[in-house]
Amino acid sequence: MTRRAGLPARAGLLDRLSHCRLVAVTGKGGVGKTTIAAALARVLAARGRRVLLVEVDPRENLHQLLDVPPSGGAVIRVDARLWLENVQPVRVLEDLVRQKVAVAALARKIVSTSVFRHFAEGAPGMKEMAVLGHAMQVARGEAKPRVDVVVLDAPATGHGMSLLWAPLLVTEVLGKGPLGRLAGEVADMVRDPGQVAVVIGTTAEEMPVQEALELIAGLRERLGRPPELMVVNGLYPPFPKHTGRVAAGARAALALWRQRREVNERELERLASAWRGPRVDLPLLALERGPALVTALGDRLVSALEPAVAP
Amino acid sequence: MSLGALDRPLLIVVGSGGVGKTTLAAALGLTSAAEGTDTLVMTFDPSLRLKDALGVGEEARDREVAVEVDTPGRLDVSLLDARRTFDQLVRQYAPSDAAAERIFQNRFYQHLAGNLAGILEYMAVERLFEVSRSGRYQRIILDTPPTRQALDFLGAPDRMVEFLQSGPVRVAQRQWFDASGRLAVKPLKILGKSLESWLDRLVGLDLLREMAEFFQAFGPLYEGFRDRAGEVGKLLRAPGTHFLLVAGPGGERIPDALFFARRLREGGHHLGPIVVNQMHPELPAQLSADGDVAEGLRLLSWLGDRDHRGLAELQALLTTRETLVGLPLLPTPPTDLAALDALGRLLLETLAAARS
Repeated sequence: MTRRAGLPARAGLLDRLSHCRLVAVTGKGGVGKTTIAAALARVLAARGRRVLLVEVDPRENLHQLLDVPPSGGAVIRVDARLWLENVQPVRVLEDLVRQKVAVAALARKIVSTSVFRHFAEGAPGMKEMAVLGHAMQVARGEAKPRVDVVVLDAPATGHGMSLLWAPLLVTEVLGKGPLGRLAGEVADMVRDPGQVAVVIGTTAEEMPVQEALELIAGLRERLGRPPELMVVNGLYPPFPKHTGRVAAGARAALALWRQRREVNERELERLASAWRGPRVDLPLLALERGPALVTALGDRLVSALEPAVAP
Repeated sequence: MSLGALDRPLLIVVGSGGVGKTTLAAALGLTSAAEGTDTLVMTFDPSLRLKDALGVGEEARDREVAVEVDTPGRLDVSLLDARRTFDQLVRQYAPSDAAAERIFQNRFYQHLAGNLAGILEYMAVERLFEVSRSGRYQRIILDTPPTRQALDFLGAPDRMVEFLQSGPVRVAQRQWFDASGRLAVKPLKILGKSLESWLDRLVGLDLLREMAEFFQAFGPLYEGFRDRAGEVGKLLRAPGTHFLLVAGPGGERIPDALFFARRLREGGHHLGPIVVNQMHPELPAQLSADGDVAEGLRLLSWLGDRDHRGLAELQALLTTRETLVGLPLLPTPPTDLAALDALGRLLLETLAAARS
């Protein structure tokens, strides 16, 4: 494990994340990954950074959490320091070609050839590389909106994994040319822990924890480093030692609570035996999915990661 | 008790990730076998707990494995593995071992086998078709891949045909590169430079050459694949094939359920019952309790309200043709056959009650 020497796991973690170019949030489907990405983006924006939240999914989801209209591929301004973009990979790849081939008429011609279209669809890792390439350019101020950090709501594990490895793969097959050079730059960025941070989202249940553990192993193998942070979402509250007198109508609910909490605790333990890095546990909250939930989870992320400055 | 609404030769369990599809598929399989029907459950990525409960291991990636259970009908389980299925297909349709080997060695195949045009999804239905045609089972229950676009596999056969017809395979059947390794397209000059030199500058011709080689190697497989994909598409729309749609309980999953239901109907598929799974129980309005207990109960009560409100909202949005039922969140996930069978029976009873 490549823990930075001398630093306690949590010290300055939010600072580190906010000075990355890209924070990729990944994990199994259904664990609230999108909500975690939105909360993290809000937290970084609240620290004065300009943040672009990127979603790679034709079925848009993020805008509901932030109470803005769907992006439809455009950049939507959420507030003074937060933007949202739903990225369509092939379109981004075409944009990159347009950019690398300065003459507009020529770029149009190339993009419209069948050779190029098949290339865009078929070449391994090309679309993923394009998404990361776009994120990199945005975070470097080379593309709009000009922001400091991109938070990526990565597709669920499996696909999320390949998204990060893609540029490494592309540089392997694509040695030359402007796209090859771009892939090389993206690969360098992904390898650099100062520029790209991976955050794993999970719930304390068997399958999500299993996938989280596989993701950690995959990251170590491919990128030679662990994730920066593990966020465990949707925990049932600790079950009280003494329940006192409880109405008959609530007994089944109490049993459910106790047993779901036991599953949570068992899985947290399994997680802890394999992952000793930074971890934030987020409780199940009585809030509908939406801006209020994002804010509440963001507050908890901050108070867990920086207890000293929390209100 | 019969399987009632679910009494079909082929049941396909669909829904978003994390809603309990795999567990429900296994539970129904067990109940089906208990009713005396020889049943196969095909699944992707069951949890260790579920594999333990069923008593199957990695060997189920290669073949159907019998679950050791004393039911009148047989219960087998198989695990779907996209890469292995794809390899088998290539072997089956390639004109020679050498041709198959050429495909396996191609870097594009190695990277694409799990990725190209929904191949994972296609391979699931491909294997399903194979087993279904063998007639070895009276009922097959298919658990679908854990992707966010969990319905991708429905379009997979059509997409595969389209890919083979208009995609790079067809394109590559032209001779893209001549004997000297130069791009053999009609000389297309753009700003005084050939297309070849522009593409070379942009991505390098080596890459395009390797791609063309890959798609050419696929050429001979074309006919076989196309016919097969057509038949697989028919199977997914057959009268005996029904879809069991599973959704999570929270309000946010309603759009998901509606989306799935619409896609299935539009695709000409038979939508069976819709199950809202993992619902928190509704609690009485006034519950007296102390301190931490009261706070926990308030949360549970809110969750119960949310889930039941979500169910009612979904009901209001559906047409009357669809059966909608809720299943409770279980205190613990099933860890043995008895618990799985109990879950399967609970689903059937709930469905029977909803229809009467």
